[in-house]
Amino acid sequence: MQRDLGDRVYGGLVGALAAASTLLLLAPTLVVLIISLTSGMTLKFPPPSWSLRWYVELFRSPEILAPALTSLRVASCTTLFSAVLGSAAALGIFNSRSRLARLLDALFMSPMVLPAMAFSLSLLLVFNVIGLRLSFWTLVLGHTIVCVPFVIRMVGAAVQQLDPTLVTCSLSLGASRWYTFRRITLPLIRRGITAGSLVAFLSSFDNVPVSLFLADARTEVLPIKLWAILEGSLDVRVAAVSGVIVVITLLGLVCAEALGGLSRSFGKPSP
Amino acid sequence: MSSSAIRMQTAAAAPEARGCALALAGIGHSFGGTIALDAIDLTVAPGELIALLGPSGCGKTTLLQIIAGFLQPSRGSVAFDGLRVDHTPANRRRIGMVFQNYALFPHLTVAENVAYGLRARQAPRAMIQSRVAEMLARVQMTAFGARFPRQLSGGQQQRVALARALAIDPVLVLLDEPFSALDKNLRLDMQIEIKSLLKSCGVTSIIVTHDQEEALSMADRIVVLNKGRIEQIDTPDALYDAPASLFVNGFIGHANFLEGRTTDPRGHVALAAGGTLALPQAGQRPAGTEITVSIRPENLTLSAGDAPGAIPTTIRVVMPLGAVSVIECVMASGESVKVSQSRAAWSGQPGVPAWLGITDITKVHVFDAPAGSPSITRP
Repeated sequence: MQRDLGDRVYGGLVGALAAASTLLLLAPTLVVLIISLTSGMTLKFPPPSWSLRWYVELFRSPEILAPALTSLRVASCTTLFSAVLGSAAALGIFNSRSRLARLLDALFMSPMVLPAMAFSLSLLLVFNVIGLRLSFWTLVLGHTIVCVPFVIRMVGAAVQQLDPTLVTCSLSLGASRWYTFRRITLPLIRRGITAGSLVAFLSSFDNVPVSLFLADARTEVLPIKLWAILEGSLDVRVAAVSGVIVVITLLGLVCAEALGGLSRSFGKPSP
Repeated sequence: MSSSAIRMQTAAAAPEARGCALALAGIGHSFGGTIALDAIDLTVAPGELIALLGPSGCGKTTLLQIIAGFLQPSRGSVAFDGLRVDHTPANRRRIGMVFQNYALFPHLTVAENVAYGLRARQAPRAMIQSRVAEMLARVQMTAFGARFPRQLSGGQQQRVALARALAIDPVLVLLDEPFSALDKNLRLDMQIEIKSLLKSCGVTSIIVTHDQEEALSMADRIVVLNKGRIEQIDTPDALYDAPASLFVNGFIGHANFLEGRTTDPRGHVALAAGGTLALPQAGQRPAGTEITVSIRPENLTLSAGDAPGAIPTTIRVVMPLGAVSVIECVMASGESVKVSQSRAAWSGQPGVPAWLGITDITKVHVFDAPAGSPSITRP
């Protein structure tokens, strides 16, 4: 009886905590989605009545569409570079038992741990010292450095799950190292690369600190533009942009899950 | 590439090509300061099935990796058909390997797994198809070509792994603890199946195992390894009947070791357990030499009454194992002895006194080293 009571209290407590965290996670997203569907002129919650007018407005606003396109280009380039560099690094680090590999791992991970502001400022100073002028590509470089750790982490998890005997076996069957990489290693870590790339893309797309420091005057990215708009006026178009981003992100996650399971790449090695 | 393709075509024309002769000369290997292998000499005839047998850490896996070309030995040479392959990388040695966990490629179907080695060598498509069909038929897996490895049972996975290894028409097949992941019931069936398959292919095969039963049942000859050295190379029967060392005696089959001391140079031995034996094989030793006498459980009989030459003992445990019972007895010296005899022949209960007799005195082995030496590891 006593124990039953304790169990119930424990269950209730855990349930309440889970509900509270879920609410905390979902509420902002839901609120912004709801507000974006207002027919009014303000970011008032709840909206007086419903309409899609701000979404229509959005697609008539070149001053928002242009930065959105820039952000897409930056995020795409960043994802490509991060995926290639991060996968190569993960393969090197997690196939090696040397101390240097552990050191490199920590080094590559450092942008994830360091405050992004401090890191961006120092990168800006470095560019200054070596005389590199800010451009689209300096921005991509900065984004790549902060996004590579995501790819390394997730591809690394996939590499660690990969049975090294499979590679040995492939070699024993007469395959070259390159053939083994293409036919065995790559297909078996593809899930990690997909998941890592997706996270790299999203994290580049909404990155503010790096963009703030490393973008030149002509390269305007979406998050900074949105902030600028919000500063001037409480424009409902910002909510509409957020709505679009939330929906696209959800679609991306659903696709990745369907393609092979993002959650599994985050999880523990399968038995 | 073209040369290997041509070789594959000729292989298709004559799939029963014989395996190669293997010669290991003076192989030695050290990891850091630890000697893993020392002075290994071994010649294997084409088509022969050899077992590398030894306890874990004896160097058998290291030797396998050296033969496969995954490890460069510190000393010595490996030759296939008289040609040294020391500088031939693993993927050019034409060796079929079967791994302990089978190492089937999880993202490829059974047929694609079997075809893998041929595709890697860029064999012609038609040749690959016919070869895969042939190999799957040989291991009775034709119906499973489109399945993925995770949909197969352990025995089926092993068949696929063997088909994949044999598909490249190897000159040598290496099997690393191939049966350890299988159920005990399935093991014997797979051993029979694989042995007959390897024999019918005529390929030279080396099987690494720590399981003496597996080695005895599979191999033409067994190489017993201990601490990186070869203890004995011989046929299963010879290893069992004439072990060259105490280690081999203890490792192959069961053996009872009894301490004793010669009482004269003609081979009379006083056992610590009590009783005296006349052992001609203990002769040529001065009186008073400490020896170890090894008697197999099936060479002992128990009787309820005293008989001439019998040694008194006490029954501890009786284990009926189907056709035979294994009876453990305690000697006066505290040494324990196992006796294996037909269930009908003994019905004594634990705790009762009994007398031990030796059936065939010529099958008793005598060694100089004391029993219970730490080098003996029994499976």
